[in-house]
Amino acid sequence: MAMSRAVLKIAGSGLSFKSDFKGIISVLGRRYAPFIVSGFGGLQFDCSEGPARLSPFRPEVKWAGSRLELARGDFRAALDTRSGRGTLTAAPNEQCLDAFLRSLISSLLIRDGGLMLHSAGILKSGKAWLFPGKSGAGKSTLSKLAAAAGAEVISDEINMLRFERGRWRVYGSPFWGEMRSGGRQGSWPLGGVFLPKKAARHRVAPCGKAEAFRVLLRCAVNFSRENREAAAVMSSAARLLAAEPHRLEFSKKDAGFLELVG
Amino acid sequence: MAFKIRKDLAYRRVGGELFVVDAAGARLHELNGTAAIIWEGLDKGLSEAELAAGLAGEFEVGEAEARADVKEFVSGLRRAGLLEEK
Repeated sequence: MAMSRAVLKIAGSGLSFKSDFKGIISVLGRRYAPFIVSGFGGLQFDCSEGPARLSPFRPEVKWAGSRLELARGDFRAALDTRSGRGTLTAAPNEQCLDAFLRSLISSLLIRDGGLMLHSAGILKSGKAWLFPGKSGAGKSTLSKLAAAAGAEVISDEINMLRFERGRWRVYGSPFWGEMRSGGRQGSWPLGGVFLPKKAARHRVAPCGKAEAFRVLLRCAVNFSRENREAAAVMSSAARLLAAEPHRLEFSKKDAGFLELVG
Repeated sequence: MAFKIRKDLAYRRVGGELFVVDAAGARLHELNGTAAIIWEGLDKGLSEAELAAGLAGEFEVGEAEARADVKEFVSGLRRAGLLEEK
């Protein structure tokens, strides 16, 4: 049986997967094509295939020192972040591998002082503008309006940030909502953060720090039930407040809100 | 019986409000004003009597009223499962 391999680069992390079975590797290659890179390096997972059990559905994340364990009904993974070596047993389908990668990358970002955020991300003037919100807040609506007006959307659902050299950078995302795009590699300086709210017309209004912090905490992706991770998310969310989030009221009629951003 | 804040809670004060994350219970609690002051006092290990004395001094209310406020707040925190026995 031939060994096959896929190497991804997502949010600055190299992720190498090798397996005796083609299933997982071919799903990764298809689903994450824009994020496939050549060569090796980064975190390395030896993969095997497992059953597509649906329960439990919520990923469980546990840290023990440098060892990270991730599990859901359809995947189980262990990673020694010090050696960069790990194992993954997963069902060879997109839903399973998407859930695994979301839980893995969100966990690594939190430990690195970054965040995975439920948000729309839009590029304008070389900067990334984020619009955090839970389901129904208008992330996909904003993204579709922006795309129709010619703006590039980073993701309409999940965006990833790292704090690098004293500044936030937003990374290209393979995790999408209704727009179901593939995304692309790249990273851009954070331009600003706006809390979206559907309204009759476009308007930017000030936003209190506590209000912004509450939204950021609720939108941060964190599957861990551990205090250390919760504290790290709070710390990153507080640091993100330096971007002075505003409230953005937007109309579903057009992308006029883009003129108010930046 | 004396109580203290559970060790596995993370909290942070932002914009005058105190946010408490109960990661194990996947809940976010928000405290403001007096409640936040009492929380921070509990975190410093102050007793209910010491907390009441501090509040009475700061807000110019009688000690009995302050003690009742502290007692009620601590009971609320216990019901929310945020405290454990010392």
